[in-house]
Amino acid sequence: MFTEIPGLLVVTWALLGLAIYAGYRQNWQLRSVAADGGYLSGLGFESEKPTGLFRWLTTVDHKDIGVLYIVFATGAALWGGTDAMMIRTELFTAGTDVWSPDTYNALFTAHGFTMLFFFATPAFTGLANYFIPILVGADDMAFPRINAIAFWLLPPSLLLVRGGLVTEVLGKMLATVGVRWELLFSLKPPTTGWTLYTPHSALLANPQVDLVLLGLHLSGLATVMAAINIIVTIFTERGEQITWANLDIFSWTLLTTSGIILFAFPVLGSSLLMLVADRNFGTTFFAVEGGGPILWQHLFWFFGHPEVYILVLPAFGLVSLILPKFAGRKLFGFKFIVYSTLAIGVLSFGVWAHHMFATGMDPRLRASFMAVSLAIAIPSAVKTFNWMATLWGGNVRWAAPQIFCVGGIMTFIVGGVTGVFLASIPVDLVLHDTYYVVGHFHFIVMGVITFAAFAASYYWFPLLTGRMFNRRLGRIHGYLSIVGVFVTFMPLILIGYGGLPRRFASYPAAFEPLQQISSFGAVIIGVGVVIWLTNLVQSYRLGPIVTDADVWNLRESGQFSREWQWFETQLEERTKFRR
Amino acid sequence: MNRPLSAIAGGVTGIAVMSLLLLFLEVETRSNLAIFESVARFAGMPGNVTFGFILFVLAGVFAWPLAFMALERYIPGGPDPATRGMVLAVALWVVFVLTGRGGLSGGLLAIYVIFTLLAHLCYGFLLGAVYGRLTSEGPLEPERYDPSDVSQ
Repeated sequence: MFTEIPGLLVVTWALLGLAIYAGYRQNWQLRSVAADGGYLSGLGFESEKPTGLFRWLTTVDHKDIGVLYIVFATGAALWGGTDAMMIRTELFTAGTDVWSPDTYNALFTAHGFTMLFFFATPAFTGLANYFIPILVGADDMAFPRINAIAFWLLPPSLLLVRGGLVTEVLGKMLATVGVRWELLFSLKPPTTGWTLYTPHSALLANPQVDLVLLGLHLSGLATVMAAINIIVTIFTERGEQITWANLDIFSWTLLTTSGIILFAFPVLGSSLLMLVADRNFGTTFFAVEGGGPILWQHLFWFFGHPEVYILVLPAFGLVSLILPKFAGRKLFGFKFIVYSTLAIGVLSFGVWAHHMFATGMDPRLRASFMAVSLAIAIPSAVKTFNWMATLWGGNVRWAAPQIFCVGGIMTFIVGGVTGVFLASIPVDLVLHDTYYVVGHFHFIVMGVITFAAFAASYYWFPLLTGRMFNRRLGRIHGYLSIVGVFVTFMPLILIGYGGLPRRFASYPAAFEPLQQISSFGAVIIGVGVVIWLTNLVQSYRLGPIVTDADVWNLRESGQFSREWQWFETQLEERTKFRR
Repeated sequence: MNRPLSAIAGGVTGIAVMSLLLLFLEVETRSNLAIFESVARFAGMPGNVTFGFILFVLAGVFAWPLAFMALERYIPGGPDPATRGMVLAVALWVVFVLTGRGGLSGGLLAIYVIFTLLAHLCYGFLLGAVYGRLTSEGPLEPERYDPSDVSQ
């Protein structure tokens, strides 16, 4: 019945009626101005920077670039999250009844690219940009202009990777004014999976695949530039009082991460270009009669597995940094956390073939990769136990950042232990390419990695904006996220034990209940994200102004660290104008 | 700026962003939702996407912002106009979902419901935020954050 009545008319008439009534009540007086109070940022202070859009387009200030990175990463995360919700919608029922199989393949491909290359990496690079110079006592990053270039390469690379959608949006916009430009509709979303395995990726006719390869190459260049900048800054720009002995844990992990990037990303870059050549110029790097498809897997995972640690080490750094602040104790075993970080950095290059146990490689080689893969659990466990020991006997305060840190440790333990099982060859041969793998790594990427990013977003929000967020909503978001991650990804582990292979739009009906629980969990995570976004946006506009730099009561436990001391001097300068 | 113009400016910003979001949703879902068909149905022009969309934009730029201006003080969620805008947008969304959903069902309907709500919230937020920013006399003395207050 409702579909018969034009909703627009109903709403317009209803609103018109109400508006007339309201105008009548207000005696038709149109006030020209309304006092609606405090919609300015807490950062109302004088600055020599240009204002408005021009400031953001031309900036070489590490803090501004850091903010740009964070905003970009948030946008990418929301986009990748939309893909995720669409994936979970398809999997809600056993049949292929929501999207076509092709669309489903495109969704998990785009989800992987977007989240790994355009959300997680930029989010942590942004935090590094903002805080490392402050933490090491530098004026700015070592190469401010390269820093700006590194950021500005990211939007075009995202555009290349997801270009088909953008051109189609343009095409549809032109079509509404009567111009139909077929070229704009020729790029279909790629269906390669984020691993881009050959020969499939080499043979797909879709030209968008070439754009994806170039886009990923560009994002790799940006990442390498940022990494070099971080390394040089930490080595050469440290203040006089900062030595290797008292360098903070966040800088240590970012230093290690940047080292890994320096060795891993060039390999990705060269293999991508080789694949571009295979696709377009008739080379045979990955053709069966040439280097063979397995060569691609070796090259890809030589990058791909260190990439996992590129994503997770900054998250570990943030947990190590934030957790003690809300436990009222110093980080337990600081040195060993640093050593374990460095150990992970080195070992991360010796485990790549555990992604290829099922390819029929030499069993002796397989065994050595299994040994190293099991060994890398040791430094990871060192961190976990040190975090627990930090909490032990501490005065734990359950503020939003702490909920995310502890929740991140919980999810990391599940994600990590399931990973230890996968490292064992006989188990891997059974579980390879099942939902178990998907569950395992999502406990880490959605668990500890995203949780650490959320923890940092709350922990540093007062410093970034000069305002405080709604702490109750922050806590609700924290608990929702922990529940959401377990409800979403635990069923995937069970589905994997049931033997269901991943990356199919349809599946046997027996798995339907577990898949539905998982989709329900995804909605919980989504609700949390909406709460987070609303809270931070509204708090940025309206939140209570911070006047005392010690927002987290860190002085009483002697942890009023460098970035907060810097914030205190900033606040003092600003209040000079106010008073 | 005077209030009607501010409201219209808010409407322009809101509808521009919302149309773009809907367009992205349409392309991302490979036209399975037929969003602009539902916009046309919502506008009372089923089958005529162009006219339906024009009516939709006109309503979003003029009718609703002006109604918002007149009704602002009666909408819950104040004093922040952006929150009030989102409340108004939720009301608009309810009608949009009821009259525009067409033959969608199952998973597609769920995606349609969730993402059109998010698009409407963006519209309402921008409408209210821009309107508030353009009509404000300047910031009132904002609240100060007190770290020792444990009630939060």
